[in-house]
Amino acid sequence: MLSRVAENLYWFGRYLQRAENTARLINVNANLMLDLPRRMTLGWGTLIEIVGSTPRFQSLYEQATEENVVRYLMTDERNPASIRSSLHTAREILRTVRDTMPRETWERVNDVYFYVLERGDTSLARAPRQAFLQQAVSGTLLVYGVLTSNMSRDVGFQFLRIGTNIEQADMTTRILDVRTYSLLGVQPGADLSPFESIQWMSVLRSLTAYQMYRRHVRMRVNGPGVLRFLLQNREFPRSVMFCLTTIASTLPALPGNRKIERAIERTRALVRDANLDVQFTAEGQLPQLMDEIQIGLGELHNALAETYFSSGT
Amino acid sequence: MAFDWSQYRCAGLHDEMFSAPDVPRPSARALLAYLRSMSPKELADRRLAADLAIKVMGITFTVYSEGKNVDRAWPFDLLPRVISKTEWERTERGLKQRVNALNQFIQDLYGDQKIIKDKIVPAEVLADSVNFRPQCVGVKPKFGVWAHICGSDLVRDGDGTLYVLEDNLRVPSGVSYMLENRAVTKRVWPEIFETTTILPVDDYPAQLYDTLAALSPRPGDTPNVVLLTPGIYNSAYFEHAYLAQQMGIELVEGSDLFVDSDDCVYMRTIYGPKRVDVIYRRIDDLFIDPEAFRPDSILGCKGLMRAWIKGKVGLANAPGAGVADDKVIYAFVPQMIKYYLGEDAILPNVPSYLCMDEKQRKYVLANLDKLVVKPANESGGYGMLIGPRASAEERAKFRELIKQNPRNYMAQPTLSLSTGPTITDDGIEPRHLDLRPFILSRGESTYVTTGGLTRVALVKGSLVVNSSQGGGSKDTWVVDLDEDAELPAASKSQSQSQAQSAAQLGDKGVG
Repeated sequence: MLSRVAENLYWFGRYLQRAENTARLINVNANLMLDLPRRMTLGWGTLIEIVGSTPRFQSLYEQATEENVVRYLMTDERNPASIRSSLHTAREILRTVRDTMPRETWERVNDVYFYVLERGDTSLARAPRQAFLQQAVSGTLLVYGVLTSNMSRDVGFQFLRIGTNIEQADMTTRILDVRTYSLLGVQPGADLSPFESIQWMSVLRSLTAYQMYRRHVRMRVNGPGVLRFLLQNREFPRSVMFCLTTIASTLPALPGNRKIERAIERTRALVRDANLDVQFTAEGQLPQLMDEIQIGLGELHNALAETYFSSGT
Repeated sequence: MAFDWSQYRCAGLHDEMFSAPDVPRPSARALLAYLRSMSPKELADRRLAADLAIKVMGITFTVYSEGKNVDRAWPFDLLPRVISKTEWERTERGLKQRVNALNQFIQDLYGDQKIIKDKIVPAEVLADSVNFRPQCVGVKPKFGVWAHICGSDLVRDGDGTLYVLEDNLRVPSGVSYMLENRAVTKRVWPEIFETTTILPVDDYPAQLYDTLAALSPRPGDTPNVVLLTPGIYNSAYFEHAYLAQQMGIELVEGSDLFVDSDDCVYMRTIYGPKRVDVIYRRIDDLFIDPEAFRPDSILGCKGLMRAWIKGKVGLANAPGAGVADDKVIYAFVPQMIKYYLGEDAILPNVPSYLCMDEKQRKYVLANLDKLVVKPANESGGYGMLIGPRASAEERAKFRELIKQNPRNYMAQPTLSLSTGPTITDDGIEPRHLDLRPFILSRGESTYVTTGGLTRVALVKGSLVVNSSQGGGSKDTWVVDLDEDAELPAASKSQSQSQAQSAAQLGDKGVG
């Protein structure tokens, strides 16, 4: 496996996962908006915070209105992480590594890319948007379907998995970071408890975790429960622990990776040892935990880059 | 209502499907019987399906436009071009003979230059060749083969003669489209294959792999073969990725490779450096090695020539093979065949006038309005003058160009290229076409693709078939009529009755 190709496969996985997550995020937020009373200020700006794109967004748009945020996240070419840009980048990368993947991958990526390209601009309004986003999500899932069913579990496949899982862990922590922050920031005394539970449910929904949470946790949706599920659960594929374990499981197939092992182990320990009941109530501790996990993921990326992507000479 | 084929206007042209208006050639008879049963609506539906398939399959080519690289859908015409197996067998023999002689010629030029000493090819032709690489003098590649992959362009004139128009010996492209055209036809129009016995084309990637693997300097082991591409911005990148995928070899860029102090080529992998045995390079000579050629090239790999000359890596095509890819040297191919093989050329050249020869130059200058003038070393249809279509101003410009640099120009009579029925917005109309078969040389054996890539000028009356200039392409069928004759009686009579009823429908249309 060429180092350049390994790096491209890794990024292909990341961008594809990013497109899917962004589509879900918009849809879930739209549903949440419908359930919340108007006096609650939690608006569309949160999504921009989640994807960590506030400065760029502010340089392009005056206000974080629904229309602006949706356009920015769905179809804006100036946002490198919009659904359209992510799929575009994934497709451009795939073009250079097509020979490593089953041919159908290319066809399914074309399907979803052209769909987003052709239908995106007319699907910004609420009514057509939901169907559009669902179609975009289905489109990316089909790509995973082709890869999981038809691609040999060679090293290339491992790099794809590393990419998708690191991206998912990243997105999960971002969502938790921003959402819990705004939830914890609720003024004491304001009676918003029914809505609080709705919001925790929406956190789960943005990660398609609601149903699995209900099946496996069997207690009412609350802050610490959701945090534990999305950070520490070992069975739910979008939990941070699951993603890190998946990445660790690819390592035996890859050469010389002591550094990567250490980076994963450190971050896993961080997630495993977090006492979320205590941290949930102690001021400032939760954001700090999320920051530390994010730093851990960053170190993991750097270890991968150093070991595989620029090696060879 | 079916399309009325009697209205297909091919009188005065040599059409590949019809020997006279409404009289199909034997090889196309069954196909036409089927086509007659289709309405324009059905044809239009299939055409849409083909466009969609091409998009989904991501079959594209890249053009430079307004400083940007635009990835365009591959232009494809659904109606196949049909060639009889009998004619093809003869063509195949002619191509093998030709490429064999060309390879001997290149080896001779970089060796003793006997053909020049014997005054068959004038010394000044070689002295002024821009594709002669002094770095290659004295090199003798494995099997004496330089042009492992050759793409020769064939055209048919109004009188039916099939001529060789040019030989592409540097980095010929287009073979992936030949394969994809067949894949598209199979996908959107499977029924059409029931009409005729069509010889398959899918063998090419396996044949190419064998050709490349044979060049390994370390025989015995499974060789590490790679395809070297200039990258995603090259117009043929699609093909590079496609072929690498089909052969299961790595698609590498120059920056993935390096030549170590042992003169071996290595690629950078996640496991560390890995030795490369054979490189199918799709980068022009001048860019493959900044040490030997253009020092500013960032596409190639430093030291590659050194590694090749020392026999540590196989290169296809060999650097310097382009010397025979010169439109002036082209004119001498029939003499080469005679000289090296002692045979007469099976496939004729288009009559050519060399501007370096005073007498011939005079003729060219006096007849610019009748001739096609070509520069010796351009490809892609660029820098040509099509005399009968050119303005007086353009002709004057070429007159000057020729006088300034006669060695760089040659001229040929304007051929009345053969046509094939093509679906256009105004119905089915004849369009001019050519054919590019690909020839693989391995020393002990030579392989020719079954048919090749048919390119078609989509613009009415146009003779320019290059995809960068408004050309399209067709699936190319070599059909075996003997095989069809041996089909069981039942299915034969069925297809005959179909043909008959279709013909009756056609008659009604006329009435």
